Amino acid sequence: MKWNNEENEKPSSANVRTAQRQGFSTLAAAYAGEAEAEDRETEEREKIDFKMVTFALAGKDYGIDIMKVKEIAKYGNFTYVPNTPPFVTGVYNLRGDIISVIDLRKMFNLPAPQKAQGEAQDGLILRLESNLIGVVVDHIDRVVGIASTNIQPPHPIFADINIKYISGVVEQEGRLYIILDVERIFQREEEKNEPPAVRLTTAQPEPAAQPSVPTPSAPASETEFDFVRESLSTFDVFHVTDINEQWARERFEQWRSSRKTAGKPIQLSTHEEARDFVKSFTSECTGAFWDENYLEKVEKVLPEVNVGTVHVWNPGCGQGFESYSLAVLLKRHYPDKQIKIWASDRDLLSISTAPNLVFPRNSIPDYYADFIVEGTNGMSFGEEVKDAILFEYHDVLHPNAIPEVDIILSRDVLSFLKESDQRQVLTQFHEKVKSSGVVISGKHELLDTLDGWDRVKSGLTAFRKA
Amino acid sequence: MRVEYINPFVEAAYNVLKEVLNTEVHRGELYLKSTSMPVLGVAAIVGLAGDVEGRVLFDMTRQTAIQVASTMLAGMEMEPISDLNDMGKASITELANMITGQAVTKLHNLGFKFDLTPPALFTGENMEVTDADVEALIVPMELPQGKLEINVAIRERA
Repeated sequence: MKWNNEENEKPSSANVRTAQRQGFSTLAAAYAGEAEAEDRETEEREKIDFKMVTFALAGKDYGIDIMKVKEIAKYGNFTYVPNTPPFVTGVYNLRGDIISVIDLRKMFNLPAPQKAQGEAQDGLILRLESNLIGVVVDHIDRVVGIASTNIQPPHPIFADINIKYISGVVEQEGRLYIILDVERIFQREEEKNEPPAVRLTTAQPEPAAQPSVPTPSAPASETEFDFVRESLSTFDVFHVTDINEQWARERFEQWRSSRKTAGKPIQLSTHEEARDFVKSFTSECTGAFWDENYLEKVEKVLPEVNVGTVHVWNPGCGQGFESYSLAVLLKRHYPDKQIKIWASDRDLLSISTAPNLVFPRNSIPDYYADFIVEGTNGMSFGEEVKDAILFEYHDVLHPNAIPEVDIILSRDVLSFLKESDQRQVLTQFHEKVKSSGVVISGKHELLDTLDGWDRVKSGLTAFRKA
Repeated sequence: MRVEYINPFVEAAYNVLKEVLNTEVHRGELYLKSTSMPVLGVAAIVGLAGDVEGRVLFDMTRQTAIQVASTMLAGMEMEPISDLNDMGKASITELANMITGQAVTKLHNLGFKFDLTPPALFTGENMEVTDADVEALIVPMELPQGKLEINVAIRERA
């Protein structure tokens, strides 16, 4: 097999800028030696017909078809390019050709160790159908030859990297290699952005890798929205999915214009900015006793219950203010029925105070007056209400023993879970809620964007099983 | 797990360990788990029944178990042990019984009625405990003798 792709790329000293060549060295020699060994092995074992360069990303083994690999590289100084997605490390001068360099770990949201400035990073230069592109990895391992019949299709369990970018999985000497489909990975990028290499050939490489402030003049686009969406889930503050996309888009427009006015970049670069972005997501009366206006809206969607007990599930109840509000509302609305609310939260500190919630007298609307009692430390709810609620330290992603319920109160809970977890919890909701029952979600969470849910006509985001 | 149940278990474990071993005890961060988990080597289990259903599992390495048992025996002016013999196993079983017993007493005072099953002790290498459908509260306890993990899984009868 002939794969020495070097010969037509011999650098002519004229167009090599020595400054940029520092810190860059091809490992071609070592590479060739390894290949010879591999060739001998090929003769011994006829079956080997696929070779890949293997490397590590966040400690896991990956491979790329050797025919796509032009060189193994050590990257020194990059030239930072403003206003690019976070996974674009910069551009690199490869003996006169400007290529863009992508950090595969950042691209797949894997942890990437911070390198000291100026420290060389391991990587590969890939020859794709359309252009050359550089990638940064943890470290290069070696060249592995395998029989292509041993390659197995990817399994959905490889959640780190989107399955459509994996061409297969192969086991070799007890190690599992995930083979990446590089054409597909970068094809996606070119569809979404303009091809970076083309855009950047005209850019004058700057001498230093000092990050400069990106210019906030880029046009509003799907791409920018996608970056914000991705940053939100990278910081794990919020996960944009069908149920909240409408809000996220409106909020994005708002954010974009306010950031523009302030002369700041649109992208979310810190945890604080991400939290700032979602601040306006919360529904009315969050973490407080519901006011009469909201109580009235909830009362309008309460279902008819024919059995003796009204069952309610309230995941993500926090300190319990809303669980108590609902309990009082239900006591008044269904005076002759038993009320049973299963309230839970995975934050131990919040939920610990919930069963014995104490509050000052003037902090609560008159609506609740009949149900509160005065204690030594302040006001609290009477036994009648307390007995109706069971507070549990529970993670909604874990199994539970909750029976079928008439009402699910889950405001602003789903959107803070990962997309796969959202789906899991929604399946649970669908199983647990009676067909006559309702699910009350957050103000900006629209379950009817998904199959299986219908919106109840009212001023509230309440849904019924379709 | 119902919030009211958490403290009695944590307090009982802390008090009993501190008293019986006569030493400093550090409680680690509490957390929830619902997957199957490895057992370190020696596990004592106490079943609970009544208003609820569930069990409490005390998990430690063999080395920790030997040292804890030795400390307990020394407190009663008995010979320490070098391997996990019948005396050692009985000591660990008793420790599990004492902690669970005290927790249940505390819960009883709060108005919850629990019954205990007699404790059982498991030892072995590479053991795993799997109880699907139950979410367990993990209470890690750091002792000079090693780490003791208390795994409490209780659920309401629906």
